[in-house]
Amino acid sequence: MRRWTPYWLALPAWLWLAIFLVVPIAAMASVSLTTGNLIDGFTQTFSVSNYSDAIAKYSTQLVRSLVYGGVATVIMLVLGYPVAYWIAFKAGHRKSMFLFLLLLPFFVSFVLRTISWGFLLADDGILLGTLKGWGVLPQDFHVLATTVAVIGGLVYNFLPFMILPIYVALERVDPRVIEASYDLYASRLSTFRRVVLPLSLPGVFAGVLMTFVPATADPINAQVLGGTSNTMIGNIVQTEYLVNNDYPTASAISFTLMAVLLIGIFIYARALGTENVLEAAAR
Amino acid sequence: MPEDVPAIELDGVVKEYLAHGETVQAVKGVSLTIGEGEFFSLLGPSGCGKTTTMRMIAGFEEPTKGLVKLLGQDVTNVPPNKRDINMVFQSYALFPHMNVWENVAFGLRRKKVAEAEIKQRVGDILEIVDLTGREKRRPREMSGGQQQRVALARALVNRPRALLLDEPLGALDLKLRQQMQTELKRIQREVGITFVYVTHDQSEALTMSDRIAVMNDGLVEQLADPREIYERPASKFVAGFIGTSNLLSGTVDAVDGDLLVVRLGEHDRILVPGQAAAGDTVDLTVRPEKITISTERPEAGLSMVQGTVGELTYLGTYNSYAVALADGTEITVFQQNAIDSSTTAERGDTVWLSWRPQHSYTLS
Amino acid sequence: MNNPLLRGLTQSRYSRRDALRFAGYSAAGLALAACGVQGQKAAAPSPSAVADFWSTQKKNGRVVFANWPEYMPEDQAPLKQFQQATGISYEYKEVIQENAEFFGKSEPQLRAGQPLGYDIIVMTNGLQLGKMIQLGYLTALDHKQLPNFAANAGASYKNPAYDANNTYTIPYQAGVTGIAYNTKYVDEDITSIQSLFDKKYEGKVGMMADAQEVGNFGMFAVGVDPDKSTQADWEKAAAKLKEQRDQGIVRKYYAQDYIDAVAKGDVWLSQAWSGDVFQRQLAGEPVKFVVPQEGGTIWIDNMAIPKGAANPVDALMLMDFLYKPEIAAELTAYIQYVTPVNGVQQILAGKSDEDSKALAESSLIFPTEADYAKLRPYRTLTNAEEPVYNGLFQTITQG
Repeated sequence: MRRWTPYWLALPAWLWLAIFLVVPIAAMASVSLTTGNLIDGFTQTFSVSNYSDAIAKYSTQLVRSLVYGGVATVIMLVLGYPVAYWIAFKAGHRKSMFLFLLLLPFFVSFVLRTISWGFLLADDGILLGTLKGWGVLPQDFHVLATTVAVIGGLVYNFLPFMILPIYVALERVDPRVIEASYDLYASRLSTFRRVVLPLSLPGVFAGVLMTFVPATADPINAQVLGGTSNTMIGNIVQTEYLVNNDYPTASAISFTLMAVLLIGIFIYARALGTENVLEAAAR
Repeated sequence: MPEDVPAIELDGVVKEYLAHGETVQAVKGVSLTIGEGEFFSLLGPSGCGKTTTMRMIAGFEEPTKGLVKLLGQDVTNVPPNKRDINMVFQSYALFPHMNVWENVAFGLRRKKVAEAEIKQRVGDILEIVDLTGREKRRPREMSGGQQQRVALARALVNRPRALLLDEPLGALDLKLRQQMQTELKRIQREVGITFVYVTHDQSEALTMSDRIAVMNDGLVEQLADPREIYERPASKFVAGFIGTSNLLSGTVDAVDGDLLVVRLGEHDRILVPGQAAAGDTVDLTVRPEKITISTERPEAGLSMVQGTVGELTYLGTYNSYAVALADGTEITVFQQNAIDSSTTAERGDTVWLSWRPQHSYTLS
Repeated sequence: MNNPLLRGLTQSRYSRRDALRFAGYSAAGLALAACGVQGQKAAAPSPSAVADFWSTQKKNGRVVFANWPEYMPEDQAPLKQFQQATGISYEYKEVIQENAEFFGKSEPQLRAGQPLGYDIIVMTNGLQLGKMIQLGYLTALDHKQLPNFAANAGASYKNPAYDANNTYTIPYQAGVTGIAYNTKYVDEDITSIQSLFDKKYEGKVGMMADAQEVGNFGMFAVGVDPDKSTQADWEKAAAKLKEQRDQGIVRKYYAQDYIDAVAKGDVWLSQAWSGDVFQRQLAGEPVKFVVPQEGGTIWIDNMAIPKGAANPVDALMLMDFLYKPEIAAELTAYIQYVTPVNGVQQILAGKSDEDSKALAESSLIFPTEADYAKLRPYRTLTNAEEPVYNGLFQTITQG
């Protein structure tokens, strides 16, 4: 009897996954292969034209989303790694305070944070207005409604998800291993390159996944901070779903995005040598 | 001790830390000299400053005061990667993402040694530590003893001027530890490199070392070879820390040439070499195996005390007696389990304990 | 406390909806059953069927009113008076944040024949309301029980194109889409829609992301009446809007947060809803609103009884109660959009406080006959037209 206990205990989680992940995905897959409209009904035609039409129509936004997500992820990595490193190795007993500060913005809702960015970066707002007043910036300079604002917003909103896993990985690096490297004639740079960086790769891997995927799919930053040519694929899904009630197209785009992201992750994992990465992470 | 330039020299080294706003002296002034090719141990209980001392030699800590010299050169402020010294860490600190070969080759690669030579030297050292054929293993796929040998090879392959070992055998079980002690000694002889060995295990230090510095509370209590440390502990601390010792305390009755005559009880008469005047109180020590136990009064010229046998423990090759003196002091006596052992005493017997004067020492 | 002023100082009615709009839409799609969805297209019920339905219904003494935030005075005085007058207890819920989101969440439930739990809902005339009607999700109203509506509803609010004879809906409030501009930056009087297309405002023009809103203005700009427009007109309008966009005149297509941008000066002039602007004016911000000479859009938020509502008679009574001019005046004093009820202007003008007088005099709240002549509703789209229309204008707003 008792040997079944773990299975029983795992059952709720499995059911949860089955009901809230597998069933909706299956339903969405099915919907993506229907044709029709809400009024006349959708019929299961198994036609893949939804996919080809959606890709043809929205390839610009899809590619743009991947580029924005990718660029934002790279920036987050470049900005986030030193922060994670600093907290892990230099913050001393104030570590938990800095981690708390890092998470502090998350006590405010995502949308509100993004909107407050819009406020901060207004053309004649506190930041730009002041700089323009000093003559540092030309009068017609603006940040909002540009690609820079959208990517900046993505970076701002997802940065902690890059920092935290890298921090956790760095935190797990045995300081004696770092000393051993110094002891074995490695300079600081070479210790970082040969020892610290490889050992933190599982964290980098997790951080990239946790930021690239949501950043690519995010609709809010483009909507609040973007201009006329910053529409991302998340906005398109939203419009197709809510405004046009074109469920098949919305599902097809969602699946296309999912597929593209999965393929991207797979390639990325292969390039980074996931087996080692995941093994090291599991250690 | 070989002459010419010493491998390592510490001169009045002090290390202070700031802990919770208070300055704590971990090392309070250590001066010592370690010769080339010597097997030198820093021995002491945890918190005695031995690890800090070693880390200052390695370069991981900078002394607050004093100098560290390697082969006569002042390296006090030289970072570890510029010191020709390598270290074997407690729990090894192997690079988990590298296999054995890469771990061992790490130092040589950083020193930009030619690839062919690296291949040669890594191969050689792996042979010495008996790990040939396991080059592709990852550290976590190996036993503790094997990891230990990788750590050793990783350090030795660089042919450092000195090798520092921080409790390297601490994580191993008893049998493996004894095996590795012999192994380490063999390897040290083979490569002829100065070893500085940090341990809290006195038997390990006594077995392997050429010389031992016994540390306590940030200071060196005694620096001598194992025999002298054991036979002639310089302080109460050393006597207590190394092996089993009997500590006695009494008043000097008279001075007889080189010998002090110390009286404990009515029939007791202890002769001990030392400098003191009549009437002084002295502490002295005598090892349990130096004491003879008998039911008859021993011959004159020996130190002798009378007591009652308490606990008697059979320990195979020898017996251990706990004998209580009149003033309550308990003395441990080891007696060889010899065939002709005629003087076996029983619990409750009144016995005489005796030893030669030169086997006891006064303590500072 | 001066409520309208306070609200003007905080945020516009629409931008507040932002926060919740993202929550709803996953639920909408996931509720779709796999393997196709049955169409529910329903024919308009015959008058006798409507009469039969209502003859079986009776007053239950309860009513549940689902509305938008900020769409009822905080003390709920109109509803309290209703309760006093009729003995019907009410439940008032601010659950509607956005038409699309509300429709998305309700549609699966209504399709499954389950009641929403609301007796009155409020939706803007537009695609979603059109779908509600087409799919038969609304209860045909019994106009015999709506005497106040018959007596007091403004002429422009009766028999709208999107709901002939007010079969399913009667207006709750209305609003005008025109041009808002910040007088700190714009030193001319804006009168023409062409100002939105003027090169000198490059990068300083805000347009709405909604296909209906932006499409209407495109059509006004090319001299087409949206009501009578054809696909060819849409294409012409789209070309005009695309040019506006490609020339860099448009800074952004706003979902709803345009009014902050105008007030802050991020854009100098923008498509705008009248009520938002009026609130800003009360807050003392240099924002002006104008219905351009070529035309503006009028949109109407409508009350309706969803299919399966538990208390339709009570719902009808409340809907009709809100058409009493003195009750409607209380709503207008708080909401500050355009009221569909005649006589409100006189009531407000007769009040002694300054705010009421200001409201009575505002052409934002009470458009003049000349204004009404320029106003056009959203184009009502057939099922076949909708994807064409949306496709044309969304390509511009979602580039």
